[in-house]
Amino acid sequence: MPRYENRESGHECPGRGSRGKAVRVFGWVAGSERLGSLSWLTIHAPGFPAAGPGQFVLLQPEPPACFLPRAFSVAGQRGEEISFLISPVGPGTKQLTNLREHDPVWITGPLGNGFDMDTLLAPPMRRAVLVGGGVGAAPFPLLLDCLATSASGPDLDVLVLLGFRNSSQAEGGQPVRAAAARLAAGGASCRIEIATEDGSIGKARLVTDLLAAEQRQGDRLAVCGPQAMCEAVWQTAREASGLSCWFSLEANMACGVGSCHGCASLRADGSLALVCRDGPVFTGESLYGVGEQE
Amino acid sequence: MTFPMQSQHSSPDLIVHLGPLTLAHPVINASGTMEILELADVFGEDVLKSPPVGAYVPKTITLKPRQGNLPPRILETPAGMINAIGLSGGGLEAFVGGSLPRLLTLSCPLILSIGGFSPREYVELAAGLRQALQAGAGDGWTQRVGLELNVSCPNVHSGCLLIGADPGEIEGVVSAVRREWPGLLITKLTPNVTDIASIAAAAAGAGADAISAVNTFKGMVIDRRSLRPFLGNVTGGLSGPAIKPLALRAIFEIFARVEVPVIGMGGIRSAEDALDFLACGATVVAVGSAGFTDPWLTGRIASGLATSLSERGLTLRDVVGIAHRREA
Ligand SMILES: Cc1cc2nc3c(=O)[nH]c(=O)nc-3n(C[C@H](O)[C@H](O)[C@H](O)COP(=O)(O)OP(=O)(O)OC[C@H]3O[C@@H](n4cnc5c(N)ncnc54)[C@H](O)[C@@H]3O)c2cc1C
Ligand SMILES: Cc1cc2nc3c(=O)[nH]c(=O)nc-3n(C[C@H](O)[C@H](O)[C@H](O)COP(=O)(O)O)c2cc1C
Ligand code: FES
Repeated sequence: MPRYENRESGHECPGRGSRGKAVRVFGWVAGSERLGSLSWLTIHAPGFPAAGPGQFVLLQPEPPACFLPRAFSVAGQRGEEISFLISPVGPGTKQLTNLREHDPVWITGPLGNGFDMDTLLAPPMRRAVLVGGGVGAAPFPLLLDCLATSASGPDLDVLVLLGFRNSSQAEGGQPVRAAAARLAAGGASCRIEIATEDGSIGKARLVTDLLAAEQRQGDRLAVCGPQAMCEAVWQTAREASGLSCWFSLEANMACGVGSCHGCASLRADGSLALVCRDGPVFTGESLYGVGEQE
Repeated sequence: MTFPMQSQHSSPDLIVHLGPLTLAHPVINASGTMEILELADVFGEDVLKSPPVGAYVPKTITLKPRQGNLPPRILETPAGMINAIGLSGGGLEAFVGGSLPRLLTLSCPLILSIGGFSPREYVELAAGLRQALQAGAGDGWTQRVGLELNVSCPNVHSGCLLIGADPGEIEGVVSAVRREWPGLLITKLTPNVTDIASIAAAAAGAGADAISAVNTFKGMVIDRRSLRPFLGNVTGGLSGPAIKPLALRAIFEIFARVEVPVIGMGGIRSAEDALDFLACGATVVAVGSAGFTDPWLTGRIASGLATSLSERGLTLRDVVGIAHRREA
């Protein structure tokens, strides 16, 4: 059975106010599975605190192929086993996806703010929409597991919209499916829709096409994916006024903890935010501004 | 006011004196690469109680708040990284009212780095910090707090680098600050000059108590997709192991030219690297970008240095500048 198919979700989900301090620990690879063009990497990290959904870590194998560690969203966690969905795009990510069982890895975290589950599910709404593009699906298995342990029930309605380049990348959606099934087993309604750009699964379409068809007044969206996708989601959300969005951003990072000021990202008001310290999750308004509504 | 020495990494062999400051060991952080208060927020307060550094150097403080350069600001490069942060920060007032009181409770000495856009700004910064320390740091603060003039940032479009590249300008700034600052005064040099030793000599001649070198090497990266400059600032500063041999050469030349102690940095990530800098003439070494991987690296290097020295049967004093001595 692949690791992401674990029956119980079993993740204590710390809220933004109740998180432990971050640590830097020496762990080792507990498992690595290819999922099409993506990989599911599980690290055994002794003493690693529980991560909130949308939080990230820095990973650096020992010995490292790169000078700096690399940032990854926590995709799943069961006790001391922490999993990541990784897209091999360069030397750092390629080294990680080629690791074998027992290979040593330094892991620092959990870092960043993560998604605020209380506002995502603030009453009276009990519906959340997760929008992911490619490896941007990474934070969602953990987010769904958190919902399963802390918010499940027949009135909870979760919609997951995932966009992939092709069917090979879409295999990376399997851990999301497994987590959605765990959530549904607790009585909640949880549906996944998948779009592939090349039409290798269903019609050729984008995740924003799914969003345009599925969105409802007042929806709250947790979004993670490439910049162009995030902008398109914001555009779609603005056209259907009344949607609230939280975006998880990427930036080149060195320290991950607010020391280097390298991960700055421009906000709508012209100010710069540090993605590692002030994010990686930001509201749509803060990133893209309120603008004039058409 | 008493000044408790940290115990964790100290061993009698590693204690160094830098002017009036006493460091439990000679491994400090490079300015702009370790924000200890941020580390405390993320990892917990222990880092403040037993800092891994022999002295703590915060990011360069500017007179006014600065947002810094547009992103992207960093990228990994072969054996290192390039950055164009552009001195972002809250400015003097925010530092004095916010971070300074907390930093003064650290159990190690503090070296405050300042960066100006004109000689007058350096003087204002030094005077502002002196006043704040006189008011809030108790008697004997000059034994715990030093000042570093960053005349070497390659990522701002005017100001400090121009000052840092001209011996006459350096003399003007250092001697003007000297009149305002009673404590340890360090000048941090840019390597982006033809003859770094003559700049060091100008700084020492104007009253600098120590020289710190090197800041980053000016460089650039091309965005492979657009074939345009990758960094928002177009150019940036190169750091990390890639620059270590260049930095060693700079330290070697400075040591041969000036009498004042040298703080050496550029690509240090291990005790062996630190030893190389000591051999070239550094009394103290600083860890910059390598600390992004491991915020406690300075402490580990200090421990490694102690081991390495005792294995060789050498003391710190033996090793500083040893590369200049011909005999075996
Ligand atoms: C908070 C956060 C969470 C993240 N979560 C995940 C996750 O869960 N899974 C995941 O797979 N990734 C994630 N990432 C992204 C991941 O950190 C990067 O993909 C990784 O750092 C890339 O490292 P690399 O060495 O493989 O590639 P690098 O060589 O570092 O390249 C990084 C990117 O920069 C580009 N680049 C490099 N050099 C140049 C150049 N000269 N010109 C133009 N472009 C250049 C590359 O094309 C690439 O897209 C996350 C990032 C952040 C900040
Ligand atoms: C991200 C980053 C920010 C820096 N900020 C400063 C700064 O504010 N002031 C300063 O004097 N030097 C700054 N530096 C330069 C370092 O202090 C150091 O001189 C240089 O990086 C060389 O050391 P290294 O190779 O160990 O990094 C910065 C370097 C980096 C990489
Ligand atoms: S990565 Fe260093 S400040 Fe964000």
